[in-house]
Amino acid sequence: MRVGNYELKLEKRLTLTNWEAAIISILAIIFALALFSFIFTLAKINPLLAYQEIFSYAFANPYGLPLTINRFIFLLLCTSAFIIPFRAGLWNIGMTGQLYAGALGTFAVLFAFGGNVPGSADLSPEILIPLMLVVAALGGAVLAAIAGFLKGKFNVNEIVVTMMLNFIAFWLVAQMIKEGGPFKAPGGEGQSFVVSPSVYAPLIMNVPFTIFLALGAAVLLSFLFARTKIGYQIKAHGHNPAAARYAGISTFKIPLLVFIMGGALAGLAGYHYFAAVPGVYKISSNYGYFGDLAFYGIICGLISLGDPLVAIPVTLLFGGLSVGGRFVQGKLHMGFGVDYALLGVLMIALVAFQFFYRYKIVRVSAGEERLDVGVHS
Amino acid sequence: MQKGLLEGIKRGETALEARGITKRFPGVVANDHIDFEIRAGEIHAILGENGAGKTTLMNILFGLLQPDEGEICIGGKSVKFRSPLDAIDLGIGMVHQNRKLVPAHTVIENIILGHPRAGRILNLKRAGEEIQELCERYGFKIDLGAKVWQLSEGEKQVVEILKALYRGAKILILDEPTSALAPPETKKLLASIETMAGDELAVVPFITHKLPVVLAISDRVTVLRRGKVTARLETEHATEKSLAKQMVGREVIFRIERTKVEKGKPILQVEDLSALSDKGFLALKGVSFSIREGEIFGIAGISGNGQHELAEVLAGLRKPEGGKVILEGKDITHSSSLERWQMGVGYIPAERVEVGSIADFSLVENVTMNFYFDDNFSRRGIVDYRKIRKLTKEIVSEYSVAAPSPDTKAKNLSGGNLQRLILARVLSRRPRLVIANLPTQGLDVGATEFVQNKLIEAKKEKAGVLLISEDLDEVLSLSDWVAPLYEGKFMGIIPGEETRRESVGAMMAGTSLMEQEI
Repeated sequence: MRVGNYELKLEKRLTLTNWEAAIISILAIIFALALFSFIFTLAKINPLLAYQEIFSYAFANPYGLPLTINRFIFLLLCTSAFIIPFRAGLWNIGMTGQLYAGALGTFAVLFAFGGNVPGSADLSPEILIPLMLVVAALGGAVLAAIAGFLKGKFNVNEIVVTMMLNFIAFWLVAQMIKEGGPFKAPGGEGQSFVVSPSVYAPLIMNVPFTIFLALGAAVLLSFLFARTKIGYQIKAHGHNPAAARYAGISTFKIPLLVFIMGGALAGLAGYHYFAAVPGVYKISSNYGYFGDLAFYGIICGLISLGDPLVAIPVTLLFGGLSVGGRFVQGKLHMGFGVDYALLGVLMIALVAFQFFYRYKIVRVSAGEERLDVGVHS
Repeated sequence: MQKGLLEGIKRGETALEARGITKRFPGVVANDHIDFEIRAGEIHAILGENGAGKTTLMNILFGLLQPDEGEICIGGKSVKFRSPLDAIDLGIGMVHQNRKLVPAHTVIENIILGHPRAGRILNLKRAGEEIQELCERYGFKIDLGAKVWQLSEGEKQVVEILKALYRGAKILILDEPTSALAPPETKKLLASIETMAGDELAVVPFITHKLPVVLAISDRVTVLRRGKVTARLETEHATEKSLAKQMVGREVIFRIERTKVEKGKPILQVEDLSALSDKGFLALKGVSFSIREGEIFGIAGISGNGQHELAEVLAGLRKPEGGKVILEGKDITHSSSLERWQMGVGYIPAERVEVGSIADFSLVENVTMNFYFDDNFSRRGIVDYRKIRKLTKEIVSEYSVAAPSPDTKAKNLSGGNLQRLILARVLSRRPRLVIANLPTQGLDVGATEFVQNKLIEAKKEKAGVLLISEDLDEVLSLSDWVAPLYEGKFMGIIPGEETRRESVGAMMAGTSLMEQEI
């Protein structure tokens, strides 16, 4: 392309610094917001006003900010659950099912201690909260392990297995909370019994303690991949399974392990959303909405290029926009799902801009180099 | 694009001329003002080591890359290729070293694939007759109805050549035409090439290391070194030594003296070992041999006769069907590959890119492949990357791996440098048993010499070396024992000093030692 006396040309990048990657991502976000402003304009809404509403509600509003943070914790756990298998070259599409399994584990612990009957049991948080966490992680891990085992042992496609397990887990939850199911709320319709206030997750400045689990897991994973033997084996398997096998890395153990680890984190996301978020404390009848939200773990994981630390700002942004988008839709009386539409545009922009991770635009003086084609005599 | 520039061209006329071809990649000038011309009816070899710029030049001639400077003239007219399609239309045919065929299709389907006349309705019968005619004219024997996956490497190459000829190629570029062929196949191919030249085709083989081939068939030679033309001469004025010197830039010793090392206790004993191939048939049919300290045991043979399976079974990457593997007195038949690494087996795989290295990993991370499990380099689950980095720097300089830094990704290394890295990584573990599968395949003269010397060094350090090679001269000059492998069986095990080239060559093709004596 020619611009005045200069010609723009694409050139392959040999290296990409973290700064360059960050700048490219920020440009992608600005681009996505600019693109989406057309949609606001079409709906006869001033885009600047809309964005101001979205961001101020999501990040500066006393009602919006806690919602954002809770979604952020949820998304970060789901993203880590995606990233671990992803680094081993495997696709976990089953965070949804795994978080359901985690939720079921959580409520199974409460059920076992009589927590389903309101006010009848004196539940001790010191024992029950750790137990709920462990069983939730175990639930997610066991469900995901099925996919890891089948992949490692028989090379069954893990995408299909995790996807199908999502349906199984979805209906399992439905079965447990419906009329006659053990977790059904007494007298309630299509939702589980409510968590007893004595075992509410501790809040720190109104934020569930699970934020430390999510952030801690991201930091630990980053260390795992950078320094440890197991992290090295996972990465080697991810880049080239044949070479990993050559180097003595088990192509059975690695798939199994990464799915167990990922499933455990997704299970914790289930604990977080259904037993730790103020105002929820139950498996509500619209639990499928949070299951769908878990799919953003895939998107965030891909945008972060599998880096657990990069996933932190990415999931914060996605969590905030999903909250702010939903809010602005109601406030400005818009007739469509602004939250998901906005996330969709953002996601496409971020992925498309990753082109610039590999190429850069350089300027050369016109005439210096030209690529014309055809036969000259 | 103007077609038919080469129609009616006569023997001796210039078919293609390259003037001042220059191509720069970041940090390297791959082609630096290259000039040469190719005449109709001549066999014009382009010779150069890995990294000399051959591949770049080939890709430019075929329209896969555009030169930064310079021009290409065909039939006297300057042309620019937007894509290989332009090059094909102008009469350039290319036979790649990595075959670009559809394995599940038949020979004839592959040949007509992409042919403009194939159009939407396939007239297989007519095409078959025409292709048959081409086969007869140039002496190719091939079953047009066979599926490509059933063919040998040599036959696949024939399919590629036929494909180019059927598209009407007047200039045929061959990338390493004889590298995967057995001696009899090579002979046939060379005869066909000569017939083609007789038909006023220009044949341009690009060759890395098979100097005898160049001398045997070519009319003229252009030698490249570091992106520049270093020699341009009539083949009759060239010798193997003079060509090698032009390629490498120094004198090269061709014959390696077999080093005598005092042999010690047995390192490896293999008893009646058999294994299945990936496709499920018995590829290795009961071989027995042993290797002692300070011995190189050479397995000669064309790939696909069970070498790959043997190497993988010994490395612990493939389960044997039967038999025993004993390493220094311990039965390791059922040990995992990790256990074998730790017990002193060092495996240098033939597939350097697919198996032997991880393209997106840095050199340090690639070296880690053989050290992450080593207690000296990882403690309590934490890998000591600083120590591995130091080791990487040491071995990179000791093995002269040309790389800007230890953080360079393996995919940026040339084939020869990658092999040096793999060799460095495996041999620096000081393995008791070295399994080297096709260690010098595709390497240039300089790197080949280096790899061979390193294997001899391992032998001197009292390791046992299993050398698997298609290069008969290499096996004969390095090995203390030579065992030609044919269809999964040894045709004999002969002491290195007593081998005769012809006899081993016949055994590679399936004649056992006993049959020869009769």
